[in-house]
Amino acid sequence: MDIGILTSALLTLFIFSFLYKDNPFYKFAEHLLVGISVGYFLVIAINTTVLPTLFLPLFKEGNLLYIIPGILGFFMFLRFFPKISWVSRISLALIIGAGAGVSIPAVIEAQIMAQMKASMLKFTSFDGIVVMTALCTTLIYFFFSKKHTGWFGAPAKVGTWFLMVFFGATFGYTVMSRISLLIGRLQFLLGDFLHIID
Amino acid sequence: MKIDRRIIFVLIAISVAIPLIFKIGLPNKVTKEVKMVYDSIEELEQGEVVLVSFDHEASSLPEIKPMAQAILRHCFSKNLKVVSFALLAEGTAIGDEILRNVANEYDRKYGRDYVFLGFRPQYTAAILGLGEDLHRVFPEDYKGISTSKLNLTKEIKNYEDISLVVSLADGDLPTYWINYAEARYNQRVAIAVTAVMATTYYPYLSSKQITGLVGGLKGAAEYEILINKPGMGSKGMDAQSVAHVVILLLVVLGNVSYFLSGKLRK
Amino acid sequence: MRRQLPIIVCFGFGAFMLIQFFIPKRSFIFAYENVLDWMQIIYVFTLLVGVANYIKINSKKVSDKAKGWGYNLIALLGLFSMVILGFAKGTDQGSPFLWMFNNLQVPMQSTMFSLLAFFVASAAYRGFRARTKEATILLLSAGIVMLGRVPIGEMIHSSVPDLANWILNFPSMAARRGILIGIGLGTISTSLRIILGIERTYLGRE
Repeated sequence: MDIGILTSALLTLFIFSFLYKDNPFYKFAEHLLVGISVGYFLVIAINTTVLPTLFLPLFKEGNLLYIIPGILGFFMFLRFFPKISWVSRISLALIIGAGAGVSIPAVIEAQIMAQMKASMLKFTSFDGIVVMTALCTTLIYFFFSKKHTGWFGAPAKVGTWFLMVFFGATFGYTVMSRISLLIGRLQFLLGDFLHIID
Repeated sequence: MKIDRRIIFVLIAISVAIPLIFKIGLPNKVTKEVKMVYDSIEELEQGEVVLVSFDHEASSLPEIKPMAQAILRHCFSKNLKVVSFALLAEGTAIGDEILRNVANEYDRKYGRDYVFLGFRPQYTAAILGLGEDLHRVFPEDYKGISTSKLNLTKEIKNYEDISLVVSLADGDLPTYWINYAEARYNQRVAIAVTAVMATTYYPYLSSKQITGLVGGLKGAAEYEILINKPGMGSKGMDAQSVAHVVILLLVVLGNVSYFLSGKLRK
Repeated sequence: MRRQLPIIVCFGFGAFMLIQFFIPKRSFIFAYENVLDWMQIIYVFTLLVGVANYIKINSKKVSDKAKGWGYNLIALLGLFSMVILGFAKGTDQGSPFLWMFNNLQVPMQSTMFSLLAFFVASAAYRGFRARTKEATILLLSAGIVMLGRVPIGEMIHSSVPDLANWILNFPSMAARRGILIGIGLGTISTSLRIILGIERTYLGRE
């Protein structure tokens, strides 16, 4: 039997053994998984990101502008030295600030305007009325500046019902997703490993 | 009524394993949202470029792989060019392998018909950067070849040369594609996500910010019907059905025993 | 200085990235493209710091022979074997690095997540009760979607998949849209607070 399949099957069973109870086989696989994942990430990040996006323009093409992100990136490692760890905040501030700046127009356009527009267009049909009612009552539910009582309480209550419909549908899909993952693993065990199925 | 959880575990394992061994062959039906993704690829002309982004981790491979295979098979069967990369590290090795294997099925040549660019961790910067200059975001492909030298990528400047983006995701990365590629650059985006994420994207489907949605293994099975190539998705549908029924029966059983015990207490 | 400088940097870059959206001038595009590159590079270093920290913590546990240190050693062995194989033998097709990824990491990780299938079933039996009106709606919606989205739903009754589709495309979609708009408004206000230096939690304590 292929050594790769045997290894995969063994480690799969180690992890499934957790269903009985926590045990050293599971713990072994769990720690090995985290270690390998981190090692994998390190290699991929350096090979496909650090080298082509920083080292290539800086050292091969001689683009000196890249010294700035290189230094800012290096600053991140100063977190390990308590006395100067604050310097890493400058690098973090750049990413967080730039990310925040770029997100504002994008979110206004994609998440608010486009969504509002889509709700208005279908307001004439029964489905459109359901959508508008669900949207308005859900938004009312999330409005916490006013107490959910009296005339304001009723739509907020209806909003929770619609939210339950969404959470229920999401739960249904979550079950579906998890079962699909199990199908994948059992297809491997019954097929590639035991050759019971194609 | 108390059932030991291990009995439930065994029940679930059996409900998935038995239909995998003894096939029932339940008929599957194609939904509108999956057909929309199919149509958005079908309407492309030969030679147009599709960007496939592997935005997922290894954990969701049983769901992502069938979707990726079905969509890539459709692209290559139509002679479309595929440029691909990953926004999550684990999607890199997986994406590279799936792309290469499917391309080989159709005798497609690396560099001319398809290219794998590698991994970029900062989603916002990568997606926005592709709107300006692909060569700046990806000076080299995954193998270290300059993207200015590869036949396929040297012709691509930015989203203007890309007809469709397909995000294969197990998280919220399609939201970034919508916020930054669709909203800012009017880039057409289709998504194929794990089932657990599917309900999240229905508002974008309704607002036409995405051209379609393939959801999980079921979505993959539907796509396989559309391209007439049964694969891993179709094979899992019997097990999926039986497991859902078993879980629903457990819920009913739990509720019946709950209400009966309540009445007995009264 | 320790807090002021990052706040100034945050404001400068945040304000620029916001303004450039409205000013399509060459100089702005040049600066914008550079900032995107910088974000990418700095971000990968932040992740590498996480890796370094992981190595540091595990090495300390091993050297201190803390409880369960053998497992930390296994984690480190896994990590360094990937790093050595990846850098020494490459990451191409047929490489030992890829072999480890395909035969160790992928199966373990997908099995880890497939465990949830069992726990979700057990939790559904024990906790999914129609105790209140809200819980009943939740249960019904979940049940219809679970049946309607798999082939067996069609066999039970042809209207089951239609009903599931309707739920997903209208009431559930609209509720999610409400959440989405709420998140959008929250994102805008938080982003503005960050740029203006009101929100400073990313600076940490001290």
